[in-house]
Amino acid sequence: MKKKLVSVLLAATMLASVLAGCGGSDSAPAADAPAETAPAEEAAPAESEPAPEAEDTAEAGEEAPAADGEAVTLKWAIWDKDITPYWQALKDNYEAANPNVTIEMTDLGSTDYMTVLATELSGSGSDFDVVTIKDVPGYATLVSKNTLEPLDSYISAAGIDVSQYGGVDKQVTVNGSLYELPFRNDFWVVFYNKDIFDNAGVAYPTNDMTFEEYDALARQVADPTFGAQVYGTHYHTWRSAVQLFGVLDGQHTILDGTYDYFKPYYEMVLKQEDDTICRNYADLSAEGLHYSAAFSGGDVAMLNMGSWYISTLIASLQSGEYDSSLCGNWGIVKYPHAEGVEAGSTLGTITGLAVTSVSANKEAAFDFVEWVSGAEGAKVMAETGNFPALMTDEVAGIIAGLEGFPADPESKEALSVSNLYLEVPYAENVSEINDILDTYHKSIMNREMTVDEGIAAMNEEVGKVLGQ
Amino acid sequence: MGQTNSNEENKKFRSKRKSEIAGKVGVYLILLLITACMVVPFLWMLSASIKSNREVFLMDPFVWIPENPKWDNYINIWTKIPLLKFVENTVILTIVVTILQLLTSSFAAYSFAKLEFKYKNGLFLAYIATIAMPWQVYMVPQFIMMRGMGLNDKLLAMICLQAFSAFGVFLMKQFYEGIPNDLCEAARIDGMSEYKIYARIMLPLSKPALSTLTIFTFVNTWNDYLGPLIYLRSETKKTIQLGLKMFIGQYSAEYGLIMAGSVVSLIPVIIVFLCLQKYFVEGVASTGLKG
Amino acid sequence: MDEKKAAQVKKLEAESAELMKMIRTEGDIEKKKKLIAKRDGIQRKATAIRNNRRISRETKRDMVAYSFIAPNFIGFAVFTLIPIVFAFLLAFMDWDGSNEASFVGLKNFQKMVGDTFFVAAFKNTIIYVIGTVPLTMIASLALAIVLNQKIKARGFFRTVAFFPYVASLVAITAVWSMIFHPSKGPINYLLLTVFGVPQNELPKWFSGSLVLFTLILFSVWKYMGYYMVIYLAGLQGISAELYEAGSLDGATTWQKFRYITWPQLRSTTFFVVVMLTINCFKVYDIAVMLAGGGDGKLSTSATVLVYYIYQNAFNYWDLGYSSALAMVLFLMVLVVTLIQFRYEKKLSE
Repeated sequence: MKKKLVSVLLAATMLASVLAGCGGSDSAPAADAPAETAPAEEAAPAESEPAPEAEDTAEAGEEAPAADGEAVTLKWAIWDKDITPYWQALKDNYEAANPNVTIEMTDLGSTDYMTVLATELSGSGSDFDVVTIKDVPGYATLVSKNTLEPLDSYISAAGIDVSQYGGVDKQVTVNGSLYELPFRNDFWVVFYNKDIFDNAGVAYPTNDMTFEEYDALARQVADPTFGAQVYGTHYHTWRSAVQLFGVLDGQHTILDGTYDYFKPYYEMVLKQEDDTICRNYADLSAEGLHYSAAFSGGDVAMLNMGSWYISTLIASLQSGEYDSSLCGNWGIVKYPHAEGVEAGSTLGTITGLAVTSVSANKEAAFDFVEWVSGAEGAKVMAETGNFPALMTDEVAGIIAGLEGFPADPESKEALSVSNLYLEVPYAENVSEINDILDTYHKSIMNREMTVDEGIAAMNEEVGKVLGQ
Repeated sequence: MGQTNSNEENKKFRSKRKSEIAGKVGVYLILLLITACMVVPFLWMLSASIKSNREVFLMDPFVWIPENPKWDNYINIWTKIPLLKFVENTVILTIVVTILQLLTSSFAAYSFAKLEFKYKNGLFLAYIATIAMPWQVYMVPQFIMMRGMGLNDKLLAMICLQAFSAFGVFLMKQFYEGIPNDLCEAARIDGMSEYKIYARIMLPLSKPALSTLTIFTFVNTWNDYLGPLIYLRSETKKTIQLGLKMFIGQYSAEYGLIMAGSVVSLIPVIIVFLCLQKYFVEGVASTGLKG
Repeated sequence: MDEKKAAQVKKLEAESAELMKMIRTEGDIEKKKKLIAKRDGIQRKATAIRNNRRISRETKRDMVAYSFIAPNFIGFAVFTLIPIVFAFLLAFMDWDGSNEASFVGLKNFQKMVGDTFFVAAFKNTIIYVIGTVPLTMIASLALAIVLNQKIKARGFFRTVAFFPYVASLVAITAVWSMIFHPSKGPINYLLLTVFGVPQNELPKWFSGSLVLFTLILFSVWKYMGYYMVIYLAGLQGISAELYEAGSLDGATTWQKFRYITWPQLRSTTFFVVVMLTINCFKVYDIAVMLAGGGDGKLSTSATVLVYYIYQNAFNYWDLGYSSALAMVLFLMVLVVTLIQFRYEKKLSE
């Protein structure tokens, strides 16, 4: 009996391993192949023309103990490799500077990236060395699961001055320790379609608008004629697009626990919806309309969105994916602001790199993190049209000089930020708070609740979480 | 007296005929209405898949086939997302799961239906109890366990998950019980081993049940969403359902493309269904699924 | 060695004789059967020892049977039974999937009481089940009765009715959200132009108080073909003689349905209702795809239990709480199924 069972078990495991072979063989190479072949190609040019890289290599050699000596392979978690150019650029440039290091990228996809990452890192068995941190709620989860390495000792050993990140680091510090270094820092601006303003004979938005002026402008430029509708403005379905107008005065944060300060902004947006100044939330939600589809459709005059959309917009117009007769003539201005608040206050989202606590090459991994989030990485980011966390005038110049970036001085001016507030700063229960705010944002925008009811519910539910 | 009686009967008969005809017409009307409800969404899907964005919601005038059908929607979906990869994954997954399911279920069901052994009732009860257990109840621990076994983000995880369902065993067992025991007894007296009886007698008889199980398994595996969502994370492993959902998220306003993708995702299941359909009602009837 | 065997056989025979006596005197048939079975076992054992067989025929028989079950059962035990046991334990623990787990007793269950989202999910799930189960049952039964008659193109109609069940949810919900689009969809267009509903009062099918209705409508549409097939199978099991006898007695169509079809279909209906209930409690993807919008998040008007289980597990990593919620789901299914079993038993008596 037992013998039989054992043999059946054996047969089953054999079958399983055969199947694993089948299942693996079709998918594994596709994922690994590019990562494996790329370094080989990279290695050759790096060795054959050492002259321009020599300085960098020497520098890196001093900083990173792992850089001299045996070969190291670092596994790095990223998303959307094919449509995001900077991953490959960062990898190539770092490998060129550190010939003994191979960076192996694993694409986890952008939908649910942080959930996927948390799943990967749960328990043991993960082989990631460096992971990209997409948002703060996900960061909080990873930190509380003890899957990230605190970076303080590395930071002080490398002599990095974290104040170079303009205070953003403080918003992701957990109990006095930092678990990630930001390398990308996006902030929200207002994109606008110049053609629509020209056709309506309305002056362009400016870098110094109060909310009243912004609202009036949207109403002025909108055209509610059925069939030829032009929307004055557009709000994506994210809660950030509406709620976070309220934190720009610097006196409130999303972790407050009382959200009465959202009220005027909800009222403004709902009123705009009623007057068909902007698309209806229920419609957007039913079709799951992406903001890029809305703006590139040529019937949206203004769009409040993150600066990440700049590079997408430029690239999609160049590739012909977007019809340039519809949205080719665009510009950006600074976020509108409340009365009495300095112009240029805006929301930010940081993307960081972290070292996993299970990594076997923490030193080498940190060296990579340091490089990417430092000056060299910043340059690579800017050249691909993205905003590095280490923002300097030089970097802003690179981006404003990109081909396809609007030529008007206002658009360049819009890139300078006076106050940056993170969309979500760190807190222990931030992912629950985030979800509660999302949920009731939906209820308010779907008109399932009045603004007052929705805000009261937010206050109550977040209060419960904070009170735990 | 007799005359009037037959007259009345004639009248009765005629009115009965009339009401019968009226009934028939009513039945057809209802059927047509229901059929319309069932089919219109699919026709809409087909129609929208060859329309441009503006035409999709154009109601006045509404046309099913636009003047310039955009057939290239069907070409573009293959390049906009790695649809081929998704299809490939799903095909592998579905075929392996269906084969494993058919083999192991019919094997186990034979034992439950035709053999006597210790703990038979207890074991069968374990199967039955889990049919009533929603998968979501244990999906989290199952996931943790699978990850511990290193199966996270592997197609194999989905195979393990779906190939050994209690439902298949239950369905096949019900069917085998309808096959007379004498058949097996006669074969046993002839000295056939149980394995031979299963292969030579039972399997050939179970075409309707196997077809039914194939349809159920194929449809469920092909269309599963939550399972792959949890287990298959990286893009190269995704199934067509996840891929389609991702596509809808990315190209939300490209209605024509979304519909073309949807049409493509429907074709294989519909083919399988149409091929096996003639056994289907018979299969359900013979498996005693009716209770 | 042989002596030992002989002694064993003797002992077994004595036992068997003792049992035989008891069997003769036993009045209760059930008990008698049990005793007979026991005696058979002892005798078989004795024969096995006498014939010097190492493995008895029974063991051999069992092994053949087990070898049939094993391929399925091992997979089933590993991937289903063990996780179920694990789930029960997890409901009483606090675990984030990485750090050490700890037993917390009933804390996870106590937490539910004041949890607004749990209460909303619970309520919505119940409403959904109460709405979907009877409607689907009635629709599928009606359809089956119609399609069981001799009508032209019966096969075509049956196939068409089954289409929605076969179609993938992702694809078909995409179509639905276009057809029911709040401002551009054809349904609302008809309401506006034909029925004269004012534009600002057009129903928003995927939000607010209507969303559950839309979910129910969709589920009935999608699943009625499946249950229709089961009813069809049931209808084919009813003998035509019953209807002939009914016709002779001058029964109307309704009477035939009431006194022949319905009672004859009782066990089918039982099966349909049980399966429907179980499947409806599991609702998740329909809600997320129809009401989730771009980000797949559900507001309190559309949230369902499985969605909240998923959120707690994979977003907050509160695996204990998530398992406890799953237990509530299981208990509900269990209670409803048991009630139905009781009712069915009462009817058949």
